[in-house]
Amino acid sequence: MAPKYKLTYFDARGRGEPTRLIFAAAGVEFEDNRLTFEEWPAIKPTTPMGGLPLLEVDGVTLCQSLAIARFAARDVGLAGKSNLEQAQADMFVDEISELLPKMAGLFFEKDEAVKAEKQKEVEELIVKTYTILEKLSGSAGYLVGNRLLWCDLIFFNIASNVENLKPGTVQNYPKLAKSYENVKLNSRIAAYLAKRKETPF
Amino acid sequence: MPSIKFTYFDGRGLGEVNRVMLAAGGIKYEDVRLHESKWAGMKPTTPMGELPLLEVDGKTICQSNSIARYIAREAGLAGKSSLDQAEVDMIMEGVRSLFDKAAQIFILPEAEKAARKKKLEEKEAPELLEYLNKLASNKGYFVGDQLTAADIALYVNYESVGSLTIALPSLDKYPNLKKVADNVKANPGIAKWLKERPVTTY
Repeated sequence: MAPKYKLTYFDARGRGEPTRLIFAAAGVEFEDNRLTFEEWPAIKPTTPMGGLPLLEVDGVTLCQSLAIARFAARDVGLAGKSNLEQAQADMFVDEISELLPKMAGLFFEKDEAVKAEKQKEVEELIVKTYTILEKLSGSAGYLVGNRLLWCDLIFFNIASNVENLKPGTVQNYPKLAKSYENVKLNSRIAAYLAKRKETPF
Repeated sequence: MPSIKFTYFDGRGLGEVNRVMLAAGGIKYEDVRLHESKWAGMKPTTPMGELPLLEVDGKTICQSNSIARYIAREAGLAGKSSLDQAEVDMIMEGVRSLFDKAAQIFILPEAEKAARKKKLEEKEAPELLEYLNKLASNKGYFVGDQLTAADIALYVNYESVGSLTIALPSLDKYPNLKKVADNVKANPGIAKWLKERPVTTY
């Protein structure tokens, strides 16, 4: 029986990884379709909005990485219980996600001088963002409420990239560090990470 | 229905999608418009140093997209099933990216502005509007056959991008999107709000 979900993205973590982590945390099978850059131009006009990732489910094709991740989280029970709790989890995801384009910009910058500038900007934004998140985070070891939700996975995903950039960053933020560790030690996530293919981004 | 307080600047910007949805849902709320001079004092008291804010049930929600999704669910505009909600979400994200690009350009120094503005007006916006036109039905709804937050987001953001002096192609070029805009304007709660709301430049 084919998996219910088909995720299409490049052979990278990038904007596909949040949804992969969500399915992994829930122990839910999905088809992990990875396109090469050569295949992409022909597929682009057939997509809803000309971008990846895509999630095909029940005959519908979704686009926009956060819309996909949020849907996956709801489907597997990691979105939050009430409307209000979902909004709180959402809030964290929206804030954390602002780091993504800045970090991507830094990663892909070729000019050394510009890269140094961007690195400085990114490091400042990380401090600003982590400070905000630390203040708002719950104290039970998770960002919102008292159990793992998708916002913890989204934070873990970006924080892992931050740790690659500047190891030890998250340890300066006690509540965030707890959420980060709880994700890392989650048995399903640990198993997923152990098997996950290494990709540059 | 819990009492709701929505705080933003005295403008449409990132707040208007929420105000329009509250109007469509017939939800009473306190429409707090903060004068810019008061912002510096208020900023440190907010969850993440930004507006808009939604205060409901003793909690304060920030992040305009999160607020929008919450209000959409409360107002019955989010889409019926979880999958419908995801489709509404994806449209809102796509439409919002247009506004974000326009807002980034708006604050650029003049030298960089012209080239970026041209790229948005002549390439990025027409491309996205073309995709969006295909995603909307010929009855003028993005999801199902009734008004959702996706339709409202298209109308409000299209208008707001125009206010940021970006010359978007006319919706006449995109018949399904034109119908979406007409459906939004025809909703009684929204029509009343559009007539009565404070007139602002942006």
